[in-house]
Amino acid sequence: MGEEKTIRIDPVTRLEGHGALTIKLGKDNKVKDIQYNVGSTRFFEKFLTGRPMEEAPRIAPRICGICPIPHHLASVKAVEAAWDVTPPPAAVKLRRLMIEAKQLSSHAIHFYALAAPDFVFGPFADPAVRNVAAVLKHLPDVTVQAIKIMQFGQELIRDVGAKAIHPVTAIPGGMLNALTEEDRDKWLKQIPELFENVNKTVELAKTVVNAYIDVITKLAVTPTYYIGLTNNGVLDIYEGNVRVMGPDGKVVADFEPKDYTKYYGEHIPDHSYATHIYYKPAGYPDGIWRANTLARCNVAEKMATPLAQEALKEMRDLVGRPSHHTFVYHYARIVELVQAAEWIKILLEDPLIVSDDIKLTDVEPKAGDGVGIVEAPRGTLLHNYTSDEEGMLVHANLIVATNNNIAGIEKSLMTAAKQIFEDKALDSLKLPDPLVKT
Amino acid sequence: MAKRIALAQLSSCWGCDQSLVDLHLGLLDVLPKLDIVFWPTVVDYKLADLEALPNRSVHIGMVEGSCRTKEDLHLLKVMREKCKTLVAWGSCSIFGGVQGLANQWDLKELLERKFIQAETVTDPRIPDENMPGFTEHITPNPQIVECDVLLPGCPPTSENTLDALTALLTNKPFDLPTKTVCDQCPMERKEKHIKKFKRNYEGNIEAGKCILDQGYLCLGFATMGLCGAQCPSVTTPCKGCFGPTPIMSDHGAKIISALGAVAEMEPEELKGSFPDPIGSFYFTDYAASYLSKMRGKERGQEH
Repeated sequence: MGEEKTIRIDPVTRLEGHGALTIKLGKDNKVKDIQYNVGSTRFFEKFLTGRPMEEAPRIAPRICGICPIPHHLASVKAVEAAWDVTPPPAAVKLRRLMIEAKQLSSHAIHFYALAAPDFVFGPFADPAVRNVAAVLKHLPDVTVQAIKIMQFGQELIRDVGAKAIHPVTAIPGGMLNALTEEDRDKWLKQIPELFENVNKTVELAKTVVNAYIDVITKLAVTPTYYIGLTNNGVLDIYEGNVRVMGPDGKVVADFEPKDYTKYYGEHIPDHSYATHIYYKPAGYPDGIWRANTLARCNVAEKMATPLAQEALKEMRDLVGRPSHHTFVYHYARIVELVQAAEWIKILLEDPLIVSDDIKLTDVEPKAGDGVGIVEAPRGTLLHNYTSDEEGMLVHANLIVATNNNIAGIEKSLMTAAKQIFEDKALDSLKLPDPLVKT
Repeated sequence: MAKRIALAQLSSCWGCDQSLVDLHLGLLDVLPKLDIVFWPTVVDYKLADLEALPNRSVHIGMVEGSCRTKEDLHLLKVMREKCKTLVAWGSCSIFGGVQGLANQWDLKELLERKFIQAETVTDPRIPDENMPGFTEHITPNPQIVECDVLLPGCPPTSENTLDALTALLTNKPFDLPTKTVCDQCPMERKEKHIKKFKRNYEGNIEAGKCILDQGYLCLGFATMGLCGAQCPSVTTPCKGCFGPTPIMSDHGAKIISALGAVAEMEPEELKGSFPDPIGSFYFTDYAASYLSKMRGKERGQEH
């Protein structure tokens, strides 16, 4: 008989944010409890109040330095919804260009810098080498292709948003800064190289998926609800309705952002400052949903662009729909990376992208309530603001992307922990030889 | 010989990290010069690994974010112990950052808003199991431990971070400029006749001309010139995210007095133009301001 023990992993690494993991094991290695402890929050909901509401889009990006663009845009959309403002079409195209560029760079950094070290060196490699600095040392060509994708995304954001991190150009009624023809041409010239690097990434992802297929299809497979934005059923990260799919694959809700309080429940755990968002009609914990790449690929009928659709089809042929395979998040990330690259090309080729007609000049603040939703790389992001007659922000509710995943992460950790500690899954799972032996 | 470096994130957005990563191919030159002993975002060393290092054994420590939790305070103090040169990295670290605006409220009000009153919450409680607990208010890191190098910005540009790292790697000083964003800004400035301040969605900001001259609150004149005037260069008002220059004693006081001097407005009218002076004049540095300190004293709080 073993002793009861607690395993604490602090911090969870290769993660943006403050996470720690607590695993409580009983005698005979029975998993008694899993806690995903998120140990920080900064109270944006409170200190956004009292500001002129048009300032929120400049404050909100500071919620996340990796995904400031979705915050900038969800925020400006919330203000516009509250003030009944519709920005000109060319401004919407610039905003979409910015968020697709972010999707591109964020998905690349996640795949190459956060996830790849596990697959390249194998999950049991020395922690000292299981990181992107070691990838750089052993696979310089792969690193360069990763950096080039990230650079494309980040520098394109800068040309549209003035700053790649915490952009400032989206304001209620449009955009403050047009894209010049010169800049547009500069980016168009780089499109072939971008697609070359994206294709190499797809190939690498498929190699990894095939090599680890036993792990992917057996470990941490966790049925949950899924949430994501779709535009008439097509995967869209800038606008559309919110769709919720049940664990059985049936769509249980498809609603406009303004109706979110009917569907969003927020469970406050005793062991995490990041709250657990769930599908309210099903209650907690039954209604735990997950967001992010796999969720979006589950709820959407199809992708918006041809190459991405091909990639999605290939993924579904392998894992089905809905896929409850936690590790398939990585694969879905690459499917979305392809869509982001294709959207960028479409937008750059659109003559309206260099239009000067990007800002209304007659925006009037008023008392109102507005909800802005976009997809951040890590999931459905919601800003809800209320203003008074002067346009001062008097109330804010924020459901940030990651909080849609916290309960789901915990649930899949529980599944994995039971497999590993109780069923000794590591003895039977087939692992490939590491790509690089250290 | 590579220098040992630790990069720690207190409560923050991780934008300073992203800014470092945004050196892109420049990383290929920088990374080999660094022996990373702690950087949770990128490498798998744990807090216990950092705590186990001998004191003063790490050449460079970069601390991003501010102390919103007691765990942040602990990590900041460990970083100070372990590192020879400690860099307060970014405006959060130096001034408290945007989350310093929360110092306008008591911690109890912040907790209630987030965990009890939010309209989506279905089972209100304040999380307390395996949780670090919060600090009563945000105190800038240099007021908690000695910081050897200050690098402001929200975030600092990639070039700023590279300049600071290069100076540290080659044992050269890294000094902050006394010049302002206006000194770096290409917009044409004329004599100011500001009769009304406009909100940023009103009208059109004309390219090529000083944004403040046009009656929009652009804080370039009161903000440290390190960013290359990246916002005003593309007709977007400066919000002051790099904080004041080292020679300004109080950011807000400097802004108010300067605006009073250039606006052709009655004092009451000028005051009425800025219904949120704290958010407008202390975007990332309210926690470092005299006003915030006074409020903290009223509450009898220590960090």
